[in-house]
Amino acid sequence: MNVIEIENLTFSYPGASVPTLNQLSLTVEAGDFLAIVGNNGCGKSTLCKAMNGLIPNFITGTYTGSVRAGGLDTCSSDVGTLATKVGYVYQDFENQIVRPTVLDDASYACMNYAMADYLERGRAALKRCGLSGRENDYIWQLSGGQTHLLALAGAVSLEPDVLILDEPIAQLDPGHADRIYEILKELNEKHGKTIIVIEHHTEYIADYCKHVLLLKDGKALWKLPVREALCRVQDLTASDIFPPQVTRAAYELKKARVLPLTAALPTTVDEGRRTFAGLTYHINKESREQTEALCKAPAAVEFKDVTLSYRSVKGEPHKIFDGLNLSIRKGEKIALIGSNGAGKSTLMKLMIGLLKPSAGEIELYGSALRGIKRDQLSRKISLVYQNPEEMFIKDSIEADIAYAMKVRGIEQWQERTGRLLEQFRLTGLKDRDGRLLSGGQMRRASLAIGIALNPEILLLDEPTANLDIATRREIIRTLEEMKDITDTVMIATHDMQLVCEWAQRIIVLCGGQVVGDGSRDEIFGNEKLRKLTGIRPPEIFAMGQELCPQAYCYTIQEFVQTFGGDSDGRIHKEAVG
Amino acid sequence: MAGFTKKLSDNLFDKFSMDFLRNQVLKNAYGNDDTVIARLDPRILIVWYLFFGLVPWFANDLIFLLFSFMIVVVTTFLARVAGLVLFLFLLGVFSQTGYLFVATLILGGDSTAIAPLLVLTLKVATVSLASITVFSGLDPDRLSNGLMWFKCPERLSFSISYAYRMLPMLMEEFQNVLLSYRMRGNPPDSATFFGKLKYLVYQIKVIIHAFYPLMLNTAKRSRTTVEALEIKGYRYAAVNKEVKKLKLASLKVTYDDMIFLTISFLTVCVSLFVSSMV
Amino acid sequence: METVKKQTATQSQKLMVFVLTMALYGLATLFTELIPSFQVGIVEFSVEYFLFIPLTLSMLFDPMSAALGAATGELVFSEIMLGQFGGLGELEKFITLTIGIYIAGRLVANPAKRRMVGIAAMSGVVIQQFLGTVVDILKVQFAVTDFEAVAGLPESVFATEGFAFLNDVLFSGILFCLLPTLFLVPKLYGKIEPLLGMQPRTKATYLGAINVKVVIGCLVAFAAAVCCEMLAESGMSLIDWEAGWAGSGAALSAGMIVAAAAALIVLLVMRRSAAVRTRGEEQA
Repeated sequence: MNVIEIENLTFSYPGASVPTLNQLSLTVEAGDFLAIVGNNGCGKSTLCKAMNGLIPNFITGTYTGSVRAGGLDTCSSDVGTLATKVGYVYQDFENQIVRPTVLDDASYACMNYAMADYLERGRAALKRCGLSGRENDYIWQLSGGQTHLLALAGAVSLEPDVLILDEPIAQLDPGHADRIYEILKELNEKHGKTIIVIEHHTEYIADYCKHVLLLKDGKALWKLPVREALCRVQDLTASDIFPPQVTRAAYELKKARVLPLTAALPTTVDEGRRTFAGLTYHINKESREQTEALCKAPAAVEFKDVTLSYRSVKGEPHKIFDGLNLSIRKGEKIALIGSNGAGKSTLMKLMIGLLKPSAGEIELYGSALRGIKRDQLSRKISLVYQNPEEMFIKDSIEADIAYAMKVRGIEQWQERTGRLLEQFRLTGLKDRDGRLLSGGQMRRASLAIGIALNPEILLLDEPTANLDIATRREIIRTLEEMKDITDTVMIATHDMQLVCEWAQRIIVLCGGQVVGDGSRDEIFGNEKLRKLTGIRPPEIFAMGQELCPQAYCYTIQEFVQTFGGDSDGRIHKEAVG
Repeated sequence: MAGFTKKLSDNLFDKFSMDFLRNQVLKNAYGNDDTVIARLDPRILIVWYLFFGLVPWFANDLIFLLFSFMIVVVTTFLARVAGLVLFLFLLGVFSQTGYLFVATLILGGDSTAIAPLLVLTLKVATVSLASITVFSGLDPDRLSNGLMWFKCPERLSFSISYAYRMLPMLMEEFQNVLLSYRMRGNPPDSATFFGKLKYLVYQIKVIIHAFYPLMLNTAKRSRTTVEALEIKGYRYAAVNKEVKKLKLASLKVTYDDMIFLTISFLTVCVSLFVSSMV
Repeated sequence: METVKKQTATQSQKLMVFVLTMALYGLATLFTELIPSFQVGIVEFSVEYFLFIPLTLSMLFDPMSAALGAATGELVFSEIMLGQFGGLGELEKFITLTIGIYIAGRLVANPAKRRMVGIAAMSGVVIQQFLGTVVDILKVQFAVTDFEAVAGLPESVFATEGFAFLNDVLFSGILFCLLPTLFLVPKLYGKIEPLLGMQPRTKATYLGAINVKVVIGCLVAFAAAVCCEMLAESGMSLIDWEAGWAGSGAALSAGMIVAAAAALIVLLVMRRSAAVRTRGEEQA
């Protein structure tokens, strides 16, 4: 039975010249776990809103074709009836939560549809989403991951057959992301729900999904079983979707004729173990790192016994850091990692003086931070927020980039603004409002704002969060380019690929303590630390370790070099044999 | 000396920072949900408020006013209201009557003006404290349920609980935008008096400008919110009697409520007794 | 069929505007409530209100939703959340604010024209402040029963209220309404509407100039605000506090005390036994 049937759907938003969905046809079977992939602006979210009837019942536009969800024609049913068939979790899910407490929000929809047992239904939904015990908490007491689960519970409470999630794990650390997917899996397998996710993380698609739908320019290019879909490396990369690293590595090895052309591409580490079984490990001499030289550099920022506590709404102040000691040396490229709520953003706010420690001292180039004037400080150190929208305070990105220089009367600020626009490829967009740009453009603009005053120390909070993989790579490239301009850079992130490709030193925070500090080999090679903090190296690293415990490959390229042999075909033959 | 004053003003600035304001507001909205007052039935409290919020305005008996004042002082204490709210209350009472008082004196009034103004002060204080007890002590969501029972428009009760949910988010966003200004802006030097004035103007200007990004960011949010409300059947529920009954089923009058009402009533009676004896 | 869909769409858009204005203006009033005002003599320099927010939104979107949203926002965020709810006075504020913002929003046909935006912004403030002043004067007259008898009080009230009106219009009006509105409206015009999925205001979508219906509606609403105060006053005089109790007051109030005390004791005993019962059930 099909729960979703779409025939020749064409939809365009009012005033748009090109239809967002164009002659799209699709069927989804009951019990499927479908991933929708496609580049930015290909109509993924629009398609999902057409499935739950928001389009055309609530959002108007030009609409032709037919959509049937759970046997109902969306055109002739109202949104409320459809909500009991199709549940939807937004990408900006926190705006979807409208009630102050947890149980209240989970049961809100049931109450509105006059179900007498609404509280029971809410509780049951919370239990399914792993939020038992938090019923009476306020929303703001939840972490980001829990808030997302609550949004899911709100949709689950109506017992819909289909659940649609728009980028469920974009802002989460791997631990929380796993939890969301485990819950989705349970809903899918135990409770027979059909799950549809919009997802960029192909590793998760490989692990959890059953089918993949590729959208391009408002059309469904294909819908295939997950294995087959992820092996279409060319189709996917053409749409800026990157298959799992294991798949790409195998693809590269196949191209290099190290693997036989007939070999099936693996999509998970498990499958990879079989595919790569015949390969042998070659020590790559260049891979050992050279960080010793930096250890002698003078300290740029130094935390001395820093204690910080937040005023809490009820009861005792909440301690974030207790006697933190940390030294950041000049010229270092540091990645700050740790799970959600480990104190990464707080640490950065302390460095920039937005928060003041309740005890201890922070020193900037040897002088106490609290003695430095804000004007001086902003020239030395700069922070780029996690949410770029909060960086835009003017009505065009040009004005935003120029602002800090203009108010300080820096000479030739116009020229410098022009250069920055050029450098971050924003010249064509300079008159646009930052908020109305795409995710990647927004990030680039916020980076340009961050370095406008030419700071010696640059702090970046989650520069790659909420971005699709292609845009993420673009940002990583921009960061690479910036390495020469900025001296000391610190990035707080969950993105381990970024960490591996970019950082020279990794600091791991956990519960307000520095639990790990060292090179990537020292951090990712330390199994105890990985267990303790839930940090997870990129898939390709895990693959390498699986094949040979001495292998430390962080990128596909390194993996191919390490396991690809000397390309004279010897391994190839062994593998065939 | 200069160092000391700088330290002092820094300290004051820290105390009265955005963060502090945010914390106080949140404390007031969420921090006292386990007090005696918060546990009372909202309908009982609203009835109670209708008496202490209105009657003192129209009564001129000094003893009655004093007793009523006493009651609301006790209830305010029981409601564990945030310090800032009390401070605002004191400021409000003083500026409301104190300013009339000064104006009367200047424009040729004499000491006979003081007695009515004292009564007026008691009135203002009692009424404000009664409202602080109810609206600050009661958790806004329960309050909105209570108002709904009294047939208040659905929009209002929704707005109250939605505001209750949105407040921390909005404040954080506002704070972050202001921080952007603090990081990148270049405030004028506030060393001299003229500089301080300039600094104040700058601050106000920044707050106004901060609403430009805030408006756009909130617009983005409210679109999702309204769509989600539609999915969750908000519009459907607004016209459905059954839903209202369901919502209000959670309200229950307990012995505590009756005792609270009786004690208040008793005190009022005593005040009337005393006033008639005098 | 088609019309039904259009209707729901505009309703949802109205709700969006309402939610947006409520949240923003509510937040702003929360802070203006907290920022202390400073006085120079009897002139009060306070950041009275950030009226520019609802003014701006009412000029860009549906004026009625913005006006109601602003009034609700102020009521909910600053009055109720901070416990500054002032009873009847709030109703009057609610209505005058709604009228002021609504009229300002209706005045603007083309938000790109600065002159019209400025005139509308000032009209909104003046209307709101004027209505507020009228009610304020009436309110003091109600509160102090021997208003006329106190020497100098009527004059001082008129003088201070009149002064406050001018002060608010010239100070708050220009600084916090006119200038920011002039700054924001052209900047947001065409930019904020797509975020809410709407078309910018044009000649076609503009509601039309203010007509007799609007004026009458506003007058009726204002009369309602004044009536509320009047009604409360006359209702209270029925009970007639002082005279009523003066004669047989002592006996009556003594009886009431006994009755109330008895009820209190009964209630306490009942609560106790109820508590014992539930505990017993828990144990069993």
